[in-house]
Amino acid sequence: MIVQSKSSRTIRTLLGWAVVALFAFPLYYWLTIAFKDGREIFNYPPDVWFFSPTIRNFEEVFGISLGFGFGEQREVLPGGGNWRMGPRLWDSIVVAIFSTVLSVSIATLASYALSRMNFAGRHHFVSWILSTRMMPPVAVAIPVFFIYKELSLLDTYTGVILIHALMNLPLAVLLMKSFFDDIPKEIDESAMVDGASRWLIFRRIILPMVRGGMAATAVLCFIFSWTEFLFVLTLTQTGLKTVPVVSSTFVTSTGTAWGNMAALGAAAMIPAFLFILLVQRHLVRGLTLGSIKQ
Amino acid sequence: MNDSDKKIYRAKVVNDYVLGKMNRRTFLRNASALGLGAGVLGTGMVRPFRSFADSQSPLEPSADVLAWVKDVSGPFAGTTLRLATESTPPSNAINSLLKHFFEEASGINVEIEVLPLEQVLQKLTLDIASQLGTYDLYYIDQSWAASVSRDVFDPREQIAANPDLAMPDYDTDDFLTALVNGISLYEDRWVGVPYDIPIFIMQYRKDIWDELGFGAPETLEQYYEQAKAITDTMGPEVYGATGQMKSGHYSLECDWTAWLWGHGGSIFGPDNRFAGNDEAGLAAMEYWDRLHATMPPGVTSWTWDGQGQSVAQGVAASMMSWGEFFPYFDDPNATKVSGLMEAARCPKPKALRTLAETGFGEIPGVGHQGGSSLAVSRNSKSPDAAWIFMQWATCYDTQVLITALGGGTGPTRESVYDDPRIIANNRVGAGTTRHLNVVRETIAKDMGSEPDLPQWAELSNDTIPVRLGKYFAGEYASAKEAMDDIAQATDKIVSG
Amino acid sequence: MKLGVLSADRPLVWMLPLVAMLVAFTIIPLIYNIWLSFHEYAPFRRRLEYVGFENWRMLFSDSRMWEALGTTMFYFTVVLLVELVLGMAIALLLDAEEFGFGFLRSILTLTLVVPPAIVGMMYLLIEDAEFGVLTYVLEIFGILDKTTPILATGSLALWGVMLADIWQWTPFMVLIFLAGLRSLPSEPYEAAMLDGASAFMTFRRITLPLLSKVIAVATLIRGIDIFRMFDYVFVMTSGGPGTATYTLSLYSWQQTFSFIKWGYGATLSLFTLVIILVIANLFIALAKVRW
Repeated sequence: MIVQSKSSRTIRTLLGWAVVALFAFPLYYWLTIAFKDGREIFNYPPDVWFFSPTIRNFEEVFGISLGFGFGEQREVLPGGGNWRMGPRLWDSIVVAIFSTVLSVSIATLASYALSRMNFAGRHHFVSWILSTRMMPPVAVAIPVFFIYKELSLLDTYTGVILIHALMNLPLAVLLMKSFFDDIPKEIDESAMVDGASRWLIFRRIILPMVRGGMAATAVLCFIFSWTEFLFVLTLTQTGLKTVPVVSSTFVTSTGTAWGNMAALGAAAMIPAFLFILLVQRHLVRGLTLGSIKQ
Repeated sequence: MNDSDKKIYRAKVVNDYVLGKMNRRTFLRNASALGLGAGVLGTGMVRPFRSFADSQSPLEPSADVLAWVKDVSGPFAGTTLRLATESTPPSNAINSLLKHFFEEASGINVEIEVLPLEQVLQKLTLDIASQLGTYDLYYIDQSWAASVSRDVFDPREQIAANPDLAMPDYDTDDFLTALVNGISLYEDRWVGVPYDIPIFIMQYRKDIWDELGFGAPETLEQYYEQAKAITDTMGPEVYGATGQMKSGHYSLECDWTAWLWGHGGSIFGPDNRFAGNDEAGLAAMEYWDRLHATMPPGVTSWTWDGQGQSVAQGVAASMMSWGEFFPYFDDPNATKVSGLMEAARCPKPKALRTLAETGFGEIPGVGHQGGSSLAVSRNSKSPDAAWIFMQWATCYDTQVLITALGGGTGPTRESVYDDPRIIANNRVGAGTTRHLNVVRETIAKDMGSEPDLPQWAELSNDTIPVRLGKYFAGEYASAKEAMDDIAQATDKIVSG
Repeated sequence: MKLGVLSADRPLVWMLPLVAMLVAFTIIPLIYNIWLSFHEYAPFRRRLEYVGFENWRMLFSDSRMWEALGTTMFYFTVVLLVELVLGMAIALLLDAEEFGFGFLRSILTLTLVVPPAIVGMMYLLIEDAEFGVLTYVLEIFGILDKTTPILATGSLALWGVMLADIWQWTPFMVLIFLAGLRSLPSEPYEAAMLDGASAFMTFRRITLPLLSKVIAVATLIRGIDIFRMFDYVFVMTSGGPGTATYTLSLYSWQQTFSFIKWGYGATLSLFTLVIILVIANLFIALAKVRW
């Protein structure tokens, strides 16, 4: 693009780092809390750079002992301790992965049709799909609670996966449609002239071309499922619980277990971040939202 | 005596007892004469296996209790029970340390969902309104007792209806009577049994108090003067007092009631109309304003968490608040004040209304209680199994273990306070019980209890704390204006 | 040819799973909520009772609701604008291959994987008046001191909540805009360079128009979520101080779950839905978004 002088490039580099540092700082600070004991968390002025790190918070959160004295603990700590959150992290991963697969698959099929086939009221249909995301979650949660009770889906993986997939569908359809729109229709048409069916064209020609888009869509679906709170709170009891809901367990009648909460938050960032890194190659390229074709 | 006279007299008797004007024996005699019935206040049953263990015995459930559990739960093996509870010391102790003993003995699975208070209310609401019985047991904060009273079994009825399943020495009389009245009793029903009892006590920094030559505050006025002196000399590093004054949060309402009752005011008058805007109510606000000035500026954004932290980190020198925090303050790994804190009864109130001068069963007293009950849901699919678990979870033996293991929380049974295993924890350190004598005395003499009415959940979580929050944010011209506004809104909600 | 039904141009077949899901989980709840808005839960009789238009009448005379609507609109406008502008600025800044910029772009996505409920707690601590690191920084710069707790001061609390939202979701905008910038054709830029256009003019005349659809879609997606924002206020301020940070979604949550007023809660939710629908469709029409 525009040729820049060396000094302006240096300024840009520094500015980029500074801005991202500003965004990263709260996360860094949150991480330090995960490694601080109860007294240090509340030092004022806050200990930002120097403190004596401990992994006790992690030991308590996951009910494991790494030889730092937790194994011998017999008392329940004020505010809990001994939380055994490992399985809850697993719940989050299962729910996020399966709901992502579900919404991306459904959305891919539907958006191909929306992109390639003409039918009356298509524009309104897309607007309607988007509008289903506008319903306040509280208003969806209660009726779904009753439906689930009837179908015995309360407190099950299937139930949570379904509702998370649903929640992400409008977004996924919108994104996927834009990726299909980016691919010239002439490709389909020439294949059709050769006698290939819609399904064959879709499966063999078009689908490989939108892989990047699917990855990008998957990342966003994953993130929204990973962080969703109200549905999981309402539709689960003890069978499963995802990280956002279970992290509120640390808010107790004898104060909030800040160190433990930060430890869980930090640990929960790892799987999600790994997932993002895994598909990142496609991410930036994929999230074009149909900007190529104006 | 006609019925209504009886009711008033009974209220007076209870009130006298709660305020320490009547000893337990006189109270029991009067109460049973008034037909409260042996089931409520009977003269004590045989206690076959309540031999006090010595302090050296291991902290494990007694074999006798587990044998009883095994004995009665045969038909229910394989059942799964569900309970949603606030994350309180008893629930945490049962969930993480004691539950498996019960499960092994009974073959019944117990799934406990530990949540913050507001979320427990949400779960409860959904379960009650839908009558689906997704939970077998309810954890009921005293402020919800009236709303859910019809959705749970009265434990006395359960004992009577099914003597085969009744624990031999369960003894409902052992629950502190003041707690039964304040937490569980709604009209003439028990909404479960008292399960935990956080209550306001005075917790102060002995070292600072000594340094300034103060004794434990005797009166509210003296407490203010001491707090002011500390803030004046040591602030802004150390403040004399602190609070839980987050706008729109239940905790703000709790703080308010303590000052209100302590100045001879009450939330409701005998006509069941809001009385917080009368002379005593305004005197309380005037006092609170002064005391607020001695607190850290952050109090208006804190719930009990921030309040507790401010003491634990040495920023505030005292708090008149939940006694549950005391064992935490003593934990050298978590706080900077281990061993420096002292517990005392709340300062004496300036004046105190009697039960007859208030409405909706409100009991004035500076020791605000925030207890909760445990009860079996009427919608439960397996109420008998739930009842067995409930008896086990609230029996003498389990409560001793909860108190010893669960970080020195206040027991709801009289006898637990005297158990050697509890007394053995009377030392400085995490999970101490050295504040429990104060807790016990506070329950008997200073306890204040919120009114019971179905609209109370809305009033105490929204109407009152939102407007008090507005007041402290300076949105009202005067305390009078704020209180009049609360009065108007409250009366409108109460009259429906 | 395994899937014969998918061979022909029958859009409904392709969209069947989607339509089934949306009908089951949005049409039914919608109808249920409309039904609910004409009923109210009677605690003592433990059932829903018909109340006619009572809830709707109450809605329009409820001053708390109007105040919450005002707060929501203000929050919505500020947060959406800031996230759009800041997101675009950072995307433009990071759209280069300077030292470590690939790494910086991945780091930015980290804010998105923290659940909003935890972000709320995080900012509650960061903005705490006594122990918060933000309080400390502001104190150093002499902007605020401890005597003004951010989240308990009427004029500041909403900004404190906005900070959490902006921090978490600006990177979302950056991500989308970066992808958009990457996909732009290079010819118009070469032409602009030959004409000697300034960087600002190039942005105004070329980048913005080319990105208009990306911006429109990002605005829609984020706008809907901002309007329904719940987690941050719920955790950070409970709507306080007073009613300064009550949003519509917090208010309807509270009516539904804290006070067991399901009917009124449903009415509030429907009202929220209608407002979002109106705003979104106005936007779609004005921005000439074609799907």
